[in-house]
Amino acid sequence: MADRILIIEDDPRLAEMVCDYLGEAGFQVLRAATGATGLAMHEARGVDALILDLMLPDMDGLEVCRRVRARADTPILMLTARGDAMDRVVGLELGADDYLPKPFEPRELLARLRSILRRRKASATSRILRFGRLEVDLDAREARLDGEACALTGHQFTLLVALAERAGRVLSREVLMDLMKGEAPEAFDRSIDVHISRIRSVIEDDAKKPRRIITVRGAGYVFAKAQD
Amino acid sequence: MPRLFLKIYLTILASLALLVVIVGVFWHFSSDDGMHHPAVGLVVQLAAAALPPAAAPVADQEQALEELSHHLRADLALYGSRNEFVAAAGHPLPAPPASSNSGDWIGDRHGPAFVFDLPDGRRLVARAPHNTHPPWSLFGFHLLVAAIAVGVAAFPVARGMTRRLEALQTAVETLGAGDLSARVSVSGKDEVASLASSFNRAAARIEELVAAHKTLLANTSHELRTPLARIRLGIELAKQTLDPKRKAELERDIAELDQMIDEILTASRLDTVKDLGPKEEIDLLALAAEEASRFDNCNVGGISAFVQGDPRLLRRMIRNLLENASRHGAPPIDIEIATNGGKVALSITDHGPGIPEAERERVFEPFYRVPGRSAAAGSGLGLSLVRQIARRHGGDAVVSSTADARAQIVVTLPSASGT
Repeated sequence: MADRILIIEDDPRLAEMVCDYLGEAGFQVLRAATGATGLAMHEARGVDALILDLMLPDMDGLEVCRRVRARADTPILMLTARGDAMDRVVGLELGADDYLPKPFEPRELLARLRSILRRRKASATSRILRFGRLEVDLDAREARLDGEACALTGHQFTLLVALAERAGRVLSREVLMDLMKGEAPEAFDRSIDVHISRIRSVIEDDAKKPRRIITVRGAGYVFAKAQD
Repeated sequence: MPRLFLKIYLTILASLALLVVIVGVFWHFSSDDGMHHPAVGLVVQLAAAALPPAAAPVADQEQALEELSHHLRADLALYGSRNEFVAAAGHPLPAPPASSNSGDWIGDRHGPAFVFDLPDGRRLVARAPHNTHPPWSLFGFHLLVAAIAVGVAAFPVARGMTRRLEALQTAVETLGAGDLSARVSVSGKDEVASLASSFNRAAARIEELVAAHKTLLANTSHELRTPLARIRLGIELAKQTLDPKRKAELERDIAELDQMIDEILTASRLDTVKDLGPKEEIDLLALAAEEASRFDNCNVGGISAFVQGDPRLLRRMIRNLLENASRHGAPPIDIEIATNGGKVALSITDHGPGIPEAERERVFEPFYRVPGRSAAAGSGLGLSLVRQIARRHGGDAVVSSTADARAQIVVTLPSASGT
């Protein structure tokens, strides 16, 4: 059965487009234009996930989030305006599962929505690192792009995790080699660079112009913090 | 000690000193005129009656003068009509100048003495009893004591007056430093009190306006981005009928518009918001490499250097530098990170025509464009934001000159490790 999504968004045209887009992707979508209607629909109809706008005409999106959390653990994806760093922190503290700044990349909305649905079904303690449309699932030892699993060897996945856990820092080849010690001897028969280019070929949109794993000439590699 | 208080208090003291001097001078010159009083006539008549005639022997005159001096307890001296000495009693007295008139003061350093012309032409010089000090110095002394008393009494008055002004000044400075809740207590009904209540009203108004501005900023950001999100979704929904090239262009346009909104909002936020939120330790080399990966023909080099800062703002700063170089300069673009005694320097160099010497400060002004260059796209806030962000992080951004006159901008930031 298709997952049922409730979108609480006061802009009717955006709500309709999200409806159409998610409908195409196979979801069943309900719409509410105010916080109060949304809360009532959530209670009456039972939904699998909520897409919640931060600014609503009758109440703050954070307030809606708090009230939903008070009685159910429905996954919540919040829509904010880019740069509301504080709203993000507060939203996540109040129990939102993820947040997405407007204007969002539609494919990213889909990926995140699938991610929060999957997480809710899996264990509550699953550890997932997320970078835009890319997910690094530490428990499943799997990397996913747009929700699709990427083909990586165990060793390459370990290298990706070593990079992703230190996103935003320049890591030299020596440091990466150290981090890979204790891994299969495979680590030593091929150079780090070869593994990196293999990982790139599966997680980058264009491996010739990498945006996720970037080479810093003479210094090493950086796993980008802000992707997509 | 506060300067205003000193000024007021020293002004009071200076006025007192001036008053003492003026009164002293007036006293001095007015007493020089002598004793022009009806009493002079009486003294002359009494003295004429008590003294023997001018023809009497000198011994008689001396005797009479002795008696008179004894009764009056005054020093006396008698001179003839041709101003020659005849007799004296008591302490010595100065001789009367020939030009002096009856009632004139001819005092010396021992005290004042007066000349009286007797009806028969003789002259009598007399000095008041036990008055060895000149009267103006005694008067001056009293004047000085009074002045000091007033001066001491004025101290707490001046202090109290300026203390309220100081409280007001502290409040204005606190407000200026960004604490918009700063207020002063209003006491009394004078100008200082009315200034204090005006300040309170103004501060309350500013606080209201800034709060309104913040709400407006948050709303604007949201209101402008909702239609952008719609367009973005619209493109996605229309992908079957849209040429991929056209789609990529539309996506780029949206990203550009989104970026401009972000720049304008960031600039307003930097102007109005004091606290920028949590800071993180950021690897500037990694951040520069990440941003540079969005641009073609851009090289990043140097060493990993950490700074404390707002990751979003520093990312915006580097992106603006890169966009400025690619819009107004020419590829390749080089970014170099270096450390130098507690500072991290990020320099970005392109192969464009460079920035003329005279324009090097002006390029950091909002909406400024180097004359003669085409009005390339952008909000016009790019470099002004770069400098604003650098300064917010305790650093600065400047245009520097390279040996081959290429365009180079150097941003320095304090190193997170402090070394």
